[in-house]
This record gives sequence, structure tokens and C-alpha cells, in this order.
Amino acid sequence: MVGRVVVSDPDMAPVPVSAGTGLPPADRGVFLQVVGLVKQFPGTLALNHVDIAVRFGEIHALLGENGAGKSTLIRQVCGASQPTAGKILIEGAEVSLSSPHAASALGVAVVHQHFNLVPQISVAENLFLTQGLPRRAGLFVDWTETFRRARALLARVGLDIDPRREVSQLRPDEAAMVAIAKAIGANAKLIILDEPTAALLPAEVAVLFGHMRRLAVEGHAFLYVSHKLAEVFEIADRVTVLRDGRNAGCWTREQLSRRSIIEAIVGSQKSFREDAAEAPVEPGAVLLSAAGVKGGRVADMSFELRAHEILGIAGLPGGGAEEALDLLYGRYLMTGGRLVVCGKQVALKSPRDAKAAGLALTPKDRHAESLLPGASVRENISLPNLGQFLTDPVLRLIRRAKERAEAEAIGRRLSVKMASVEAPIQSLSGGNQQKAILGRWLASGARIFMLNSPTAAVDIGAKAEIYALIRKIAAEGAGVIFTSTEVEEFPRVCHRVLVFRDGRIAGELLGKDATEANILNLAAGDSE
Amino acid sequence: MNAFTGASARARVDYTALFARFGTLASLIALLIVFSLGRPDVFPTVNNLLNIMSQISILGTMAFGLTVCLVMGLFDLSIAAMATLGGYVATFLLVQYPDSVSVPVAVAASLVTAALIGMINGLIVSYLGISAFIATLATGSIITGAVLGVSDSKTIITGIPDAFMAIGQGAVFGVANPILIMLSVGLALWAMLEHTQVGRHLYAIGGSLEASRLSGIAVKRYAPFALAICAACAGLGGLMAAAVLGAGRPQGVGDGYLLNAFASVFIGASSLRPGKFHILGTLIGVLLIGVINNGLSVMGVPTYWQYIVQGVLLVAALFSAGVLTMRRH
Repeated sequence: MVGRVVVSDPDMAPVPVSAGTGLPPADRGVFLQVVGLVKQFPGTLALNHVDIAVRFGEIHALLGENGAGKSTLIRQVCGASQPTAGKILIEGAEVSLSSPHAASALGVAVVHQHFNLVPQISVAENLFLTQGLPRRAGLFVDWTETFRRARALLARVGLDIDPRREVSQLRPDEAAMVAIAKAIGANAKLIILDEPTAALLPAEVAVLFGHMRRLAVEGHAFLYVSHKLAEVFEIADRVTVLRDGRNAGCWTREQLSRRSIIEAIVGSQKSFREDAAEAPVEPGAVLLSAAGVKGGRVADMSFELRAHEILGIAGLPGGGAEEALDLLYGRYLMTGGRLVVCGKQVALKSPRDAKAAGLALTPKDRHAESLLPGASVRENISLPNLGQFLTDPVLRLIRRAKERAEAEAIGRRLSVKMASVEAPIQSLSGGNQQKAILGRWLASGARIFMLNSPTAAVDIGAKAEIYALIRKIAAEGAGVIFTSTEVEEFPRVCHRVLVFRDGRIAGELLGKDATEANILNLAAGDSE
Repeated sequence: MNAFTGASARARVDYTALFARFGTLASLIALLIVFSLGRPDVFPTVNNLLNIMSQISILGTMAFGLTVCLVMGLFDLSIAAMATLGGYVATFLLVQYPDSVSVPVAVAASLVTAALIGMINGLIVSYLGISAFIATLATGSIITGAVLGVSDSKTIITGIPDAFMAIGQGAVFGVANPILIMLSVGLALWAMLEHTQVGRHLYAIGGSLEASRLSGIAVKRYAPFALAICAACAGLGGLMAAAVLGAGRPQGVGDGYLLNAFASVFIGASSLRPGKFHILGTLIGVLLIGVINNGLSVMGVPTYWQYIVQGVLLVAALFSAGVLTMRRH
């Protein structure tokens, strides 16, 4: 089950028709029809005559690179913003969605990545957040009635949880289903899911998809936005791809092929190659060696990292892989073992010590942990490196010209697309932001790069560029430790993969053996 | 969509962005024009303009210090108490030990006391994990109580040396000393925030604590530093007030400055670089408040209007900064 959800189709063959909702989508009526939608922002044409039709009972995937117009389209359809031109028809009648309230009255609901639930209150209270809790005498909350109705609503979506539980206590897939139940409780006929699986484990994704299929058979329509192609192939009845604000193609389940979808997403001019990582030309000196290192969720970890090497650390979430990187960067304390970095035994008490030892970490959550949101590209690149530009050790004045030249050099070297190094970092696309963050550490002269999901929320074209950049970093003599929430990345990126299970290294996979299936088998613990 | 994306964005003037950037500066200039036209004989004279600068010098000194800790996201509510302390400590030492304590020593002792208390504020924030808002509220209350206790609620009036009062009442080439003090403090803090590693780290920590920590910045050292600077500036403001008045009051010196200092810094954060606290912006905020207060009184408008206009102005400034921030999402 776990394998089926995550493993992508490597030979780009058309996907079998067996899954999905079963009913041929053409047999159902159209719920939402968007015709020639145009959205003009100052200086940018975000949507250029986009058409899309979502039928009752259909799971319709919406794909495209960041900036292709997906979120803009969703915002028009859910009433958060009004189109410049074009028509939106709901059940055949042209509508004007002046507010999210108007859209929700017509049966359109959006479930955002973080499910728009209030974590500190109960499931039942969340379910009736928009329409209000049932009351006695118009004044006091009728809790008996509230929980009765909540139970009925949860039963309708097939979720067996106590409505009195606090939302913060739920598993992510349960929270997703509560959000869907909330939408259905408000009589939503079309539920727009914006990257709902970002925080979900593979097994939880499978549960969510099971629920979605059943609701689709009952007639509910879903518009499903995701970056994860494997999931789209698994769940979608129909796929619409946007590129540069225009339609780039629409396929039914039978017509789908991985190659045509990827070509539509990235465009024909960019050749997209999923090249597997090759073995390093010659493994260099040992840069890092861990012996019996433990701390936090990591129970025992011993390995060596050499120069020129890209070492993957894989595992299911909570298995210790991500925690291993945090531990090696001093984000929490080692409780045992020996760590030698660049020939020196180190005791890391903080990220500051780790940086001084020659380590670098790019954490998973770019927005919360890496970026300085209000600052320029230059300030983001030079953040850990200001010491290089000082006039003297006392006043610590910064030589601005030198700093700027260095940032520009990094920008050119990594081909960061930006107006200038003084442009706000927020004006860059996700991929270019990530390149700037990697550039930050290149400029710092780090010897060991630890990268946690460097391609998270980055579009497909930029992913390939980041993979190439990681190889370049290794080729130039650094060591790279890589981890990711997307298992399919390990075979593409790494020379060697260590697989964690329950905080221990469950096995090591070299070169061609480092396949998704082998990694997942080791991580889940059913390798026989 | 972002105002900064794409070359084609230049094709159309982005009025919202212009308003957010230059709105406060434009209203400052508009007010100067209105008051000049209203009382051409009184308002736009060198004397009156120097007068305005004098009137804002204490507020400005305190607001510049406050800017430093707001840059890294710390609210310092102890500045009112700190100002009272700064003035009282200096006059107390001068009057109590007239033979052994010279004016420079008294000034230094007062500023160091304030800075040390500010540092304690910072240590509480960094190492006990208490929010600056609460920590400084608490220390402010402790300082107020301590000064009242030591002074027995008595104001020090007699025995203050002229050399001390010269700090507030003297002038260099016709420019009052408090103006020069405010401008020097502003210049020094501007240079620190804009051009030194320490300043950049303060901005970085204010932008993202975690990104700064992972970049190897010793983040815990900066709260004691920033709050010490802010406290020293507040103490200096109170000291200037004592020198101007020629009295060491044990209570209430700083109270009037607390709200106005915050107002100036937040108005400043909506000027030129929307969403960012910076010294030049704070100067605009302080000037705006000074010009309004002076202009209204020169025009003969009752004093209560000053409070109302200041309140309206603060909301308008925050709104103009907010428009741009909201539109970015």
C-alpha cells in the first residue's frame, strides 16, 4: 500500500484505468465551467483565456509550475478575487463570485494546505465555524445537538473520530478529512484541495484518497492541486495543466502519460531529464565521521562522508532521517557518540558551533527557517557571511560594495533569476529563492552541505536545476548529506543512501540499488 | 502580485506603493506648508524651527533607542520608568556627593545604570524565555517603585550644578544642546543599524530568528545588547529632561514620552521603507509629531486637539504601511 502511493512510474507508460472513480467522467453533468478567464495584474497577465470544466463526481487535477496561474485561477473560482474578463458558470448558469461567501453559497469550497482549521478548539466547533453552532433559546450552545450533528457529518465522510477532540491532536489525514467534512457540511459540491498531502505520510495519503474516491462516487467534485505527479496519476480522473497563465493541455485518465504531462508543465523548449546520479569520479578524503552518535530521535548513527560524495539519509517521517541532519547541525544536543568533522573531533552545542566546524544546513521549511522575508537577495545571501566584509574587528562596518559584488557573483554562478541583488527575496520564485539560500552557504565556504528537502515547493524545471547544483557542489569538493520527504528524489540525487528506521540505520544502499522500492522497504521494515 | 516583479511593472505607476513609501513624508511637508501659510509670521522662522527641534529632542533620543530594539522585534515598555531613573540618578549623585562626583561622572553613572538594567531586561528575554513586552513591563514597575522609595517621593531641586543644567539649556552656535545630543545619538545608531555587522544581525533576527540562528548568529546575545541601548537612550532622554528643568523628579518624567516614542517609531516604519523600522523613518515620525504639536499651538488650537490629531495620524500611518503589506499576499 505504502509503495503504491509514493513510487512513481519510471517508464513513463500510460497509467492503467483500473483506479479512479470508475464512472466515465463524460457521463456526468458539468458543475463548474470556466470560459476564457482573464486576470490582469499590474504588469502581469496572470490568466490568459483559461478554460476548465469540472464535472460532478470527478477528481480533477490542476497542475503547473509555480507562477503558472493555478492559485490565481483558484482565487477567481472561490470568489477571493474577481476576473478581468471571461465567464464562470456553475451548473450551467453564469455567476459573478463577488466574495468567498458568494462562492460558498453556490457550493464551492477551498481546503488550503493547512486545512483552515483552528487547532485549539474541538473538531465539532471547527465543523460549525462558518454556519454557527446549534443553540438553545437562541443563546446557549446546544452541545448535545452539536456533537450529534458533528458525528453525523463525520460519518458522512467516513471518518471515525470523536468530535470532542481538539483539532491539534488529530493526525494530518484526519485534519484534512475534517476540513473536507466542514466543506460538505456547508453544502459544498466542488471541493478545491490545494496541496492537501504536503504534510501527510504515504499511508495517510492512501486513507485520504480512499475517502476522496468514495465521496466522488457520491457525486462530489474535487479540484486537486499538487506538485506530486505520482499522486496525480493515482487519484485523478482528469488532468488540466496550466503554463504561463494559459491552458497547456487537458487529459482524461485513459490518455495520461507521464511524458506528455511533464512536457506540458515545463514546455517543449526546456528538455527535462531525470538523470540518475552517477558515482563520484573519485571519492575524496573523509570529511565527516560519526560513530555511535545519538540524541533526540536518533538512537544510533555511524557513517562516514567523503568529499565529492552525495549521501542520502532516507526514512519515513519520524524515523530519524531529518532529525539526523538537525542533530549534526547542533539544533539539539548529542547525548552520546563521537563526531569528527574535517579531522577535528567536535562537540556541537549550537548551530553556531556547527557552522564554525564547516557545516551548513538548509532546513526543510524555507519560509520559516531559511529566508529573511523582508530583506533583499543580497542580504539573504550574505547573512552568515557578513564577517567576510568587515573593515575592522572593532567597529565592524560592512564594505557594502564588496558584499554586493559577492552576492552578484553567487547570483551569476547559480543563475538566480532576479531583477538585481537588491530585489526583495520575496519577488523571486521558490526555486530561485532556494538557489539563493544554497548560494548563502557556498559563499560561506562550508565543506559539508546538509540539505533537507531542497526542492520542496519548487516547480519541476527548477528542481532539475537544483539537482544539477547539488552535483556541482559535490563535484567541486564538498560533501553533501541529502534528505527529502519525496522518496523518488534519492535515486536521482544520491550516490549512496542510508535508510533510517526507528532512529537507527536500517541499511545502506549503493548506486543502482538505491531505488525507491528498496528505500521504502528498508524504511518500513518489511524487506523480506 | 508584487510591486517589484517584472520589468513591465514599471510601465504603470504604482500609486499604492508610492503612498505607502512617501505618504508620511508627504504629510510632513504638507503640514509644514499649511502651518507656514496659516501663521507666516510665526511658524516658518528659524527660531520656531529650532524650537520644534528642541521640543522633539528628548522624544527623538528615546525613539531612536526604541527603534534599535523594535528592529529585532522587542517591545520595551520600561522606557518611561528608565527616563525617570536616568534623570533622578544623575541629579541624586550630584546633589548627594557634590565633592566627589563631577558632572561627566554623574552622566556616565546614570547611563550605565540604565544600560545595565536594560541588559538585565535582555537577559530575562533571552535566557528565561519571557517576552520583552512582559519583562520590560515588570522591570519598569520595579524601577518606578525603587526610585520612589529612594527619593521618598521628593523632587531634587537645590544643589544641581550649572554645568549639569548646561546639558539641557546651553547651545552651540545657536543650536540648543539637546538638539545636538539627539542628532548625534541618531547618527550613531543609524550608522550602527545600517552599516555594521551588529546592525545587520539585529535586522536579521527581527526578520527570522530561526534563519539567523541557523546562520551561526549568536542570537541570545542581541536582546541584552539592544535593550541596553534602548535603556541608555531612555535614560539619556530623562537626563536631558532633568537638565532642561533643573530638577530631578522621582516620578512621571517619562510617562508622556512612552506613547509618542512608540508612535514615532511605528510612523517611521511606514515611511520610505514600509514595514521596516529604521532611524531615518523614526526621525520623520518624531518630526511629524513635533510639527503637529508646535503648529497647532502656534495656530492657537486647544491642546486637546494635539492628542486627537496624533492618534488619527498613527492610525493613518499604520494603515498606509498595512496596505502595502496586505497587497503583497
